[in-house]
Amino acid sequence: MSQTTVVTAAKGPSLWAGGRSPYNVSYGKMMTWFFLLSDALTFGAFLISYGTTRFFSAVWPDANEVFKSFPFMGEHNLPLLFVSLMTFILIMSSVTMVLAVHAGHYGDKKNVAKWLLWTIIGGICFLSCQAWEWTHLHGECGGLWGAFTDVNTPVSEFRHFFGHKSLAFVDAQPLVAMQSTHNFFNYFFTITGFHGGHVTSGVIFNILILVNTVNGVYERRGHYEMVEKIGLYWHFVDLVWVFVFTCFYLL
Amino acid sequence: MSSHHNQDNIQHLYEGDQSKLYSGVMQHHTDITSEESKSQVKRIWKIFWILLVITVIEVIMGMFFSHNMPKALVNFFFLALTILKAGYIVAVFMHLGDEFKGFIVTVLIPLFLFVWFIIAFLADGGFWLSMNASSPARQTLEHIAK
Repeated sequence: MSQTTVVTAAKGPSLWAGGRSPYNVSYGKMMTWFFLLSDALTFGAFLISYGTTRFFSAVWPDANEVFKSFPFMGEHNLPLLFVSLMTFILIMSSVTMVLAVHAGHYGDKKNVAKWLLWTIIGGICFLSCQAWEWTHLHGECGGLWGAFTDVNTPVSEFRHFFGHKSLAFVDAQPLVAMQSTHNFFNYFFTITGFHGGHVTSGVIFNILILVNTVNGVYERRGHYEMVEKIGLYWHFVDLVWVFVFTCFYLL
Repeated sequence: MSSHHNQDNIQHLYEGDQSKLYSGVMQHHTDITSEESKSQVKRIWKIFWILLVITVIEVIMGMFFSHNMPKALVNFFFLALTILKAGYIVAVFMHLGDEFKGFIVTVLIPLFLFVWFIIAFLADGGFWLSMNASSPARQTLEHIAK
């Protein structure tokens, strides 16, 4: 018995003193997963709330009508094209992130730094696209939190957000249609804003771990697990975008 | 990344940093140009192309077909493709597919709350729209349907 204790002490804490993880996952990584789980519930609540409002609305703006502009292309009818570009950028930055994590598994400092830098560039590109889209929706379309509440708003201000099948209803009940437009923009700016906030903090985390990588902090520590944990967060942000993309632009 | 590693022979490297045991970096992963590394990178790029193709299919459906097909069918396709994309991201990019089964189950089970969450709330939203027969919105909808 005492022999066992000695051997265990030499190796580190015993099995029953927290020396091992039953899932073979470190505490930090497991807690990152549970944080992401709780974040998924928050995003889920937002999206389900949006869905509920949409279900109890008699009409709803058509994504193909609202999102049809592209920078420097004027008001051409290019539905979904710009958001497809944003999606592509985010998927691409997810790939560069997973390549950084991969390089981290091999302790390859140079490649970790290189792929993190690409991920940061991808994140900034995505945020720039979102800034353009928000500016466009606010400037040209008049949308923002709390917009479309004035009962004297002429129907021409929001009629063009609706698909042709809904127009008969919009003309018969403009106030109901305006309420839907109001709800649509509130949810759009809240949910894409919350997601954009996640992208922003992800970019900041990535910059921090890039600085640490270049300074050799993880090399001295002996592992690049922090890159893995930030990677989990970054992929989660991409994952959320997959659902936001479907709920706002496709369905 | 950790399930195929046996940590018994590396216990002496523990040094009070639990992450060291499970991050995999101290084991045979030393050469990023090795065959194992290359096959991992190949898998990452394969998933990238799958995600891209799924997104392109979604956008083409959204642009050209979503107005001519039954709405329920289109939505079913969109949701199925979304779940597929999410699965690839979680399983490969987040490496959840490489973890122990117990851990995968622990992470995924709480998400099944969403099944109840979605059904209950959307059904309630739909009910709210139709419950008041005198609401102007419903009367107009019925009038247009005639």
